[in-house]
Amino acid sequence: MSRSEIALEVKDLRTTLFMRDGNVDVVRGISFRVKEGETLALVGESGCGKTLTALSVIRLLPDPPARVTQGQVLLAGEDIRHVPEHEMRSLRGDAISMVFQEPLTSLDPVFTIGDQITEAITAHRKVSRQEARTLAAEILREVQIPSPEQRLKDYPHQLSGGMRQRVMIAMALVLDPKVLIADEPTTALDVTIQAQILDLIRAEQERRRLAVLLITHNLAVVSQVADRVAVMYAGEIVEEAPASELFANPRHPYTQGLLSSIPSAAGDRKHLYTIPGRVPDPRALPPACLFAPRCPYAINRCWNEHPGLVATDGHLLRCWNPQPFTALQAVEPGRVDPSVAASE
Amino acid sequence: MASYLARRTGYMLLILLISSVVIFYALRSAPGGPSGGGVLSPLSSQEVRQAYEKRLGLDQPVYTQYFIYLGHLARGDLGTSLVNGSPIVELLATHARNSLVLGLTALLISYVIAIPLGVLAAVKRNTWIDQLAMGGAILGMGIPNFWLALILVYFFSLRLGWLPSAGCCDPPQLIMPALVLAAEGTAVTMRMTRSSMLEHLRDDFVRALRAKGLPEWEVIIRHVLRNALIPVISLTGLRLGWLVGYALIVETIFRWPGVGYLLVDSVLRRDYPVAQFFSLLLIFFVLIANWLADIGYGLANPRIRVA
Ligand SMILES: Nc1ncnc2c1ncn2[C@@H]1O[C@H](COP(=O)(O)OP(=O)(O)O)[C@@H](O)[C@H]1O
Ligand code: SF4
Ligand SMILES: [Mg+2]
Repeated sequence: MSRSEIALEVKDLRTTLFMRDGNVDVVRGISFRVKEGETLALVGESGCGKTLTALSVIRLLPDPPARVTQGQVLLAGEDIRHVPEHEMRSLRGDAISMVFQEPLTSLDPVFTIGDQITEAITAHRKVSRQEARTLAAEILREVQIPSPEQRLKDYPHQLSGGMRQRVMIAMALVLDPKVLIADEPTTALDVTIQAQILDLIRAEQERRRLAVLLITHNLAVVSQVADRVAVMYAGEIVEEAPASELFANPRHPYTQGLLSSIPSAAGDRKHLYTIPGRVPDPRALPPACLFAPRCPYAINRCWNEHPGLVATDGHLLRCWNPQPFTALQAVEPGRVDPSVAASE
Repeated sequence: MASYLARRTGYMLLILLISSVVIFYALRSAPGGPSGGGVLSPLSSQEVRQAYEKRLGLDQPVYTQYFIYLGHLARGDLGTSLVNGSPIVELLATHARNSLVLGLTALLISYVIAIPLGVLAAVKRNTWIDQLAMGGAILGMGIPNFWLALILVYFFSLRLGWLPSAGCCDPPQLIMPALVLAAEGTAVTMRMTRSSMLEHLRDDFVRALRAKGLPEWEVIIRHVLRNALIPVISLTGLRLGWLVGYALIVETIFRWPGVGYLLVDSVLRRDYPVAQFFSLLLIFFVLIANWLADIGYGLANPRIRVA
C-alpha cells in the first residue's frame, strides 16, 4: 500500500478531558488508517469516545474541556495536528468534511438551504454568488433531492429529517473532499430513511473515491456499508478487521457480545444476548483489560495486565483469552461468570 | 395572520377606549382643576371661576364632558391648550418630533453599545472583558434615571462645563438626556444579547458551520448573532414602552420639550385637553410598540413567518 493512498491516518491519538475534579483520557491511544475509496466503521456503545475521536481529527473539540494530548493526525500524509488554525480552517469542508448525527439541528434555522450551501463554497473558492448557487443546485441534484432550485429557497424546518441529512451530505461533498467523517449519520432517522442515506453515502464514496470514517453504535449499519471495522471500547480500539472477516469471525468478547445482541431477521428476541453491565466511567476504569468486568471469559491475567492490540493476518485483537464465537451464544443471556461479577 | 392582526387591532382599540375613560376621570378627580390654580390665578373670585368653568363646559357631569370630547376627537378636533391657547395639533408636531429625536437617539446609542459588548462578553465569557461589561450592566440597571442625570449634570455641566445642563434642541443638549434615557435599556440589552449568544453558541449548527470551514467571525456574527438577536429584537417593542415612561422623567429633568415634558407640565397645570390627548397618545404609542415587536419577531424568525 503506497502512502499516498492513505487519505487519513490517526496514530496513537489521545484526547483528554480537563475537568475540575481531575483529567480523564476519553480517547486512549487510538490508531487507524482510511484509504481512498474505503469506508472504515468505528463502532462502539454510546459514550465510548467515538465522537470525540472524530472531533479530534477535524480539530473541533469542545475546548474546554477536551484537548488532544498525544498522537498524530495525518491527512494525505501531512500532519494536521499542529497546523495553525487558519490553515486548519481552510482544510475543513474542503479536504475533510464532517456530517453530524442531528440533521434537525445541524442547519442554521434562520438561513435558507441555498445560503448555507453557497457560504460553504465561498468560504473556500473565489466564485460569484451565482456560480456558487449553480454549484449548490447541482450538488442537491446529485444527492437526489427533488426540484433542487426550489429547495435552495427553503428554510431547514421546511424539509424532512431525511432531506436535511441529504442537504448536510451535499454540503459536505460540494467541494469534493478526500475524507468524509460521518458521525452516526442515520441514528436520528427512521429505519427506511436510514437505508437510503447509507446507500447515498456508499454511492458518493464509490463515485468520488472518498475515504469515509463512519461512526456508529449500530452494527447493522456497519454491515451495509463498511469495508473495514474498528470496534471501540472505553476509548480504545479492541478489534479491527475487514468487515466480512469481522462478521464471520468476531474474536473479541465485546464484538461477539455486540453481534449477539443484534436481533436477527428471524427474530428470536427472547434469547437475545445482552452485554451485562455498563460502559465504565472514564474516571473509574478497571485496572487492566477495560472490558473485564463485563467479560464472560475474564481470567486473572485480564485483571492484572493491560492487553495490547495484536495483529494476526490483518485482524487486530486486544484480548488475553479469546474464545470461538459460538461459545458466547451458549452463555445464558445477561449472565456472567460469578467470579468475575464478584471481583467487580 | 390576517385574523391575528384583526384581533390585535381590536384589542388595541379596546385598551385605548378603557384608558381614555380612566384618564378622563382621573384628571378630573385630582384636586384643583383649571379654575383652581392650574390656569386661572388662585386669587380669582368665585364668579370668575364659575364663568370660566361654564365656558369650558366643566360644570357639566363628567360623562357628558367625556362624550363631548369624543365627539370632537371624532371630527378631528384635538382642541387647544387651556394655558396658552395653542392648538394641540401644533403642540403635537413640535413636541412629538423632539421626543422622537430623543427616543431614537437613545435607542441607537443603546444598541450600538449593547450589542457589540454583549457579543464580546459572550465570546470572551468569564474573562475580565466579560466581567467589566456585566459590572457595567449591573450599574446601568441599578442607578435610577434621575440620579444618573444629576451625576452627569454635576460633572459635565457644572464641573467641566462641557455640556449644557438642559434645554433644546442642539446636539450638545441632546447628549445627556439621550445617555440617561439609554442607560437601563443598554444594560438590559447587553445582558440579553450575552445570554442569548451563549445559548446559541451551544447549538449543534455552530459546530456544523465550523466543520464547513467558515471563518470564526462569520460563524459568530452572521449565524450565532443572527439567531441570538431574535429575542433582543422582540424586546425592542417593550423597550420603546419603557422609554415612554422614562421620557417623562428625563425630559422633565433636562427640560427637553418633548411629549413627556409637555404631559407632566399639563397634568401639573390641569391643562385637561393637553393632558388627556398626550397621555392617550403615549398609551397608543406603547401599544403600537408592542404590536411592532410581534411583527419584528416574526420577520426575524422564519419558523414563525411561515407558521
Ligand atoms: N463536552 C464534554 N464535556 C464533558 N464530557 C464529555 C464532553 N463530551 C463528551 N464527554 C464524555 O466523553 C466520553 C466520550 O464521549 P463521546 O465521544 O461523545 O462518545 P460517543 O460518541 O462514543 O457516544 C463520554 O463519557 C462523554 O460523557
Ligand atoms: S482480555 Fe480478558 S477480560 Fe478482556 S476481553 Fe479478553 S478475555 Fe475478556
Ligand atoms: Mg457520539
